[in-house]
Amino acid sequence: MNGQYAALLIAIPLISAFFVPLIKKAGRKAILSYVIAVTVAQIAVAAWVFKRVYTTGKPIIVMAGGWKPPVGINLYIGYFAALFVLIVAIASFLMAVFNLRAMKTEPLDKYAMLFLLLMLGATGMIATGDIFNLFVFMEITSITAYALVAYNKTGEAAEASMKYMILGGIGSSFFLIGIALIYGATGTLNMAQLAQFAGLVNSTVVQAALALLIFGLAVEAELFPLNAWAPDAYQASPHPITAMFAAFVVKAGLYAMVRVLFLFQASSGWSGIMKLLVIMATLTVVFGEFSALRQRDVKRMVAYSSISQIGLAAFGFALVGKAGASTGVASLAVSAAVFHMVNHAIVKLLLFLAVGYVAIALGGTKLEHFKGLGRRMPVTAFSITIAAFAVVGIPMFNVFWSKVKLLIAGVEAGYTWSVFLILGASVVEAVYYFRLVHTMWFSGEDVNEKISESVPIMAMMLALVAVIIYIGLYPNTVWHVVQKAGSDLLNVGSYVKHVPLINVGVRP
Amino acid sequence: MVSVLKRAIAIAFILIIGYWIASALSHVPFGADKMLVGNYYLQHVENQTGAINAVTAIVVNYRGFDTLGEVTVLFIASTGVAALLWERKRKRTARTEGTIVLTTGTRLLFPFILLFGSYIFIHGHLTPGGGFPGGATIATGFLLMYLAFTTYRIPHRGFEVSEGLAGMGYVIVGLIGLAVGGYFLFDWIWQTWKIGTVGNLVSGGFIPVIYTLIAIKVGTELSGIVDNMLREGSS
Repeated sequence: MNGQYAALLIAIPLISAFFVPLIKKAGRKAILSYVIAVTVAQIAVAAWVFKRVYTTGKPIIVMAGGWKPPVGINLYIGYFAALFVLIVAIASFLMAVFNLRAMKTEPLDKYAMLFLLLMLGATGMIATGDIFNLFVFMEITSITAYALVAYNKTGEAAEASMKYMILGGIGSSFFLIGIALIYGATGTLNMAQLAQFAGLVNSTVVQAALALLIFGLAVEAELFPLNAWAPDAYQASPHPITAMFAAFVVKAGLYAMVRVLFLFQASSGWSGIMKLLVIMATLTVVFGEFSALRQRDVKRMVAYSSISQIGLAAFGFALVGKAGASTGVASLAVSAAVFHMVNHAIVKLLLFLAVGYVAIALGGTKLEHFKGLGRRMPVTAFSITIAAFAVVGIPMFNVFWSKVKLLIAGVEAGYTWSVFLILGASVVEAVYYFRLVHTMWFSGEDVNEKISESVPIMAMMLALVAVIIYIGLYPNTVWHVVQKAGSDLLNVGSYVKHVPLINVGVRP
Repeated sequence: MVSVLKRAIAIAFILIIGYWIASALSHVPFGADKMLVGNYYLQHVENQTGAINAVTAIVVNYRGFDTLGEVTVLFIASTGVAALLWERKRKRTARTEGTIVLTTGTRLLFPFILLFGSYIFIHGHLTPGGGFPGGATIATGFLLMYLAFTTYRIPHRGFEVSEGLAGMGYVIVGLIGLAVGGYFLFDWIWQTWKIGTVGNLVSGGFIPVIYTLIAIKVGTELSGIVDNMLREGSS
């Protein structure tokens, strides 16, 4: 099949979302099953794209309308995008199955549309090769997210959505102004061409534009100090949506930020911006872990933990600034950060799935609800335990490898102070996760009535547990994949080379 | 005292950032002829897209992928409003009927507003305008109906279905492009079939088709938002 068919990654969720009003009357079960079917189709296309990109070793360049870049908009599905588009599709599929159990609040037809469009938005953000198109997909993702955060229609949900909308709106405007500055200075919006021009543009302009872009995207990527919306939004959202936020929405934001930053690595103001990012990332980790420690609500606690893990991945990307893009340290740091993103997606998907399931079965996510969970819902408790061990970074589980590689890269790049702060924060993380594990298995002797767990959800949880342990025992398979994905992000030269730019005149 | 200090710091911070952005702006050659891709569009627009209006050609054809996204953004906005304001039974609670001027004026103007809206989107490839303003104009017609008559309601279900069908239509036009020309959103009507002469109503390839779909979509969506906001639940 022709590579252009990768456009189906966008077309399928879109046309399926538009189709939902026609089956509105079909009932809850039919609509939610329809969503599952769409995510399966999306997985099929994403798997085909993944296989093709990793066997040929060449990115797929989808040219919308047949216009060659920079005249038209192109998608760039390289190693990184192929991997994450697949992760987005799989995570959406799992959450679509979870919907059957979790979603009772009407109007479900609207929910189904927003669900599919959230998947579409993240896919587009990851796949696009045009900076304005990135903005469009960011809008799709974030506006869908505002609506989904408020979907439960409680007071907290409305407040969380409002906070998110205000911060997200300001962030989007910053991003748009940043694009305007860049377009004003270069006359193009194509990301590959921008990379070519990066070294020629005035450094003040680039710095200001990049700072605006970072602050705009940092809202989506949940970096300190722009992540105040995230814990509220995570807590108030429907459970499957929370898991999707942690598994890929935030990662799409982080990816977009890193991609844009790396494209401009030839410009002179670049390393200063990267230093700013190191500080933001380190503070995100520390702030996230210490806030998580104080939480009595498990869903909120996991949300804070998720924020800090994203900070850790951002830290890995930011290391490139000091090390220099072409060094071995840089490639180690970026690959480790991508590895961490993959691991985090798996673990947080599992955690939010299990915590959400507990909320549905027991009516809440307060720490008290988890008392004696080991006896009441053994499989769920077991899954949470494994996920907790993994997040903390215990050997034999997947996150251990990415954490260790990130910290090694941090030391080699010369950011020992950050590494120490992050290590300290990890101890805090261990404290609150072990507190949760302890609550589940060694307290609440009085509650004994067992709850029969749903088979599909148990199957999903155990599958994710198996993946966590598999990657923990044999990290090399995934490591090879993420190394390629990392080089795709880092090596701007090959990015530019693969985009068939036509000559439309000389600039600047 | 603390708040004064806080404010002073905030003001100083704003001034520093303001100075920084201003100095960045001073290096951007605004007003100078720096169009890179823009010049390419101006030179090739007629030949490649068959449209006289270069803006529409860029919006729908060259950068049609963005427009598909923007259409989706609007769809999300209307879906989001519908999802958040949802209640099982809602009805209009307006009590004051419009004055005779408003009701008579609305009866007279309503068809002409729809006609004018249609004119805007049908001629998108020839004159300023297109599906978005055309659709918005049509929606104002329905808004006027709501203002004038307390019991008026749009056929909600029909609007929702046509909104979905129009969106699907846009994607299907794109997919036909993928099947015929090998690229998603490829303008098969102009580039493969070569239908129409530049400057006539029948020209511009798939631009009028897409703009018609967009206008239906925008019109039904905005009317739907109005409808959602004007109905209240019993609780």
